[in-house]
Amino acid sequence: VRLAAAVLAGGLLLIVVAAMPSRPQIPSGREVVSAAAYVSSDPVARGSSFQIAVVMKIRHGFHVNAREKSADYLIATDLRAEVPAGFKGGDISYPKGQLRTFAFSKKPLNVYEDQVILRMELSALANAPLNAQPIPLKLRYQACSHEVCLPPVTQDVDATVNVTATAGAAHPAHPELFPAQH
Amino acid sequence: MKKTVLIVIAVLAVIVVAAHYADKATRLSTKGASTRADNPNGGGKPAPDVTLQDLDGKDVSLGQYKGKVVLVNFWATWCDPCRVEIPWLIEMQQKYGAKGFTVLGVAMDDEGKSVVAPFIQKERFDVNGSKSPMNYPIVLGNDAIADKFGGLLGYPTSVLISRDGKQIKRITGLISYEEISKTIESQL
Repeated sequence: VRLAAAVLAGGLLLIVVAAMPSRPQIPSGREVVSAAAYVSSDPVARGSSFQIAVVMKIRHGFHVNAREKSADYLIATDLRAEVPAGFKGGDISYPKGQLRTFAFSKKPLNVYEDQVILRMELSALANAPLNAQPIPLKLRYQACSHEVCLPPVTQDVDATVNVTATAGAAHPAHPELFPAQH
Repeated sequence: MKKTVLIVIAVLAVIVVAAHYADKATRLSTKGASTRADNPNGGGKPAPDVTLQDLDGKDVSLGQYKGKVVLVNFWATWCDPCRVEIPWLIEMQQKYGAKGFTVLGVAMDDEGKSVVAPFIQKERFDVNGSKSPMNYPIVLGNDAIADKFGGLLGYPTSVLISRDGKQIKRITGLISYEEISKTIESQL
């Protein structure tokens, strides 16, 4: 009886393994880029300016169109903030892309690969609400591999700014991303 | 003993269900999809019974092409490799159109007609030295349509359908002009 049970279990296991779907070789657009936001100061003093850096990590073998796209019809990387009351949004700077030629493209395309950092200037106004304040960001991009393109994706990226009323309490943060302030 | 067997079956059932949902979560579309490696020949499954709309808002059903060899090509205006294929598709339509073949372009742009119609009207493609417009039917697609084809992993995706309505080849990414031409010829 034990032998029969073991054979039954083994058979079922084989069926399960055979029925298990194989992981697709092409990830979704959302899986291709991981994005995280970092604030240049912690806390940020009321009445001061600061930066948010969005670090895009792009999966190996994929690229996204740079901000300066190579053709009108392409979808450029785009970062937007829903700036809450008490803050003022400023310029957004995008890194230069790299010209790359792909199997599907006759001319080089201006793209981002590996890791890129996008930067947004912001100011905390004199009436900025105190303590942790979320600044929702939306990152839009369109990724391709050497073979296929994935639909454009808009990712929500959350930045949290810790606001203080005491100017002296503000400290630079993330020196690896904001070296100029150190 | 029976209890042990039941536990084994229950555990395996949980693994199957978990694997199914874990796989679905990684897909581009909400439903499963085939890749070039998974299912290079389209599996011989019957083509789905789908009705799409053309740029004039008229219904176009895949069933109305039964008796023809159809290359369903999922594309988008922002997709560079899709643009590379378009001259090849125009040429195939020219070459095999009278022999019972058609390309059916399924435009997957989120903005739909507002971007696809101007693209079709304006763009001309270099086909053997002459500037040609897209000469095959174009319909508007969406995720629900893609799901009926088993989901898409990326663009372009092409599905070749035989005269008797079976999916005989599926290519994710650029088609090989020579290879697909050979397959089309073998079906005509």
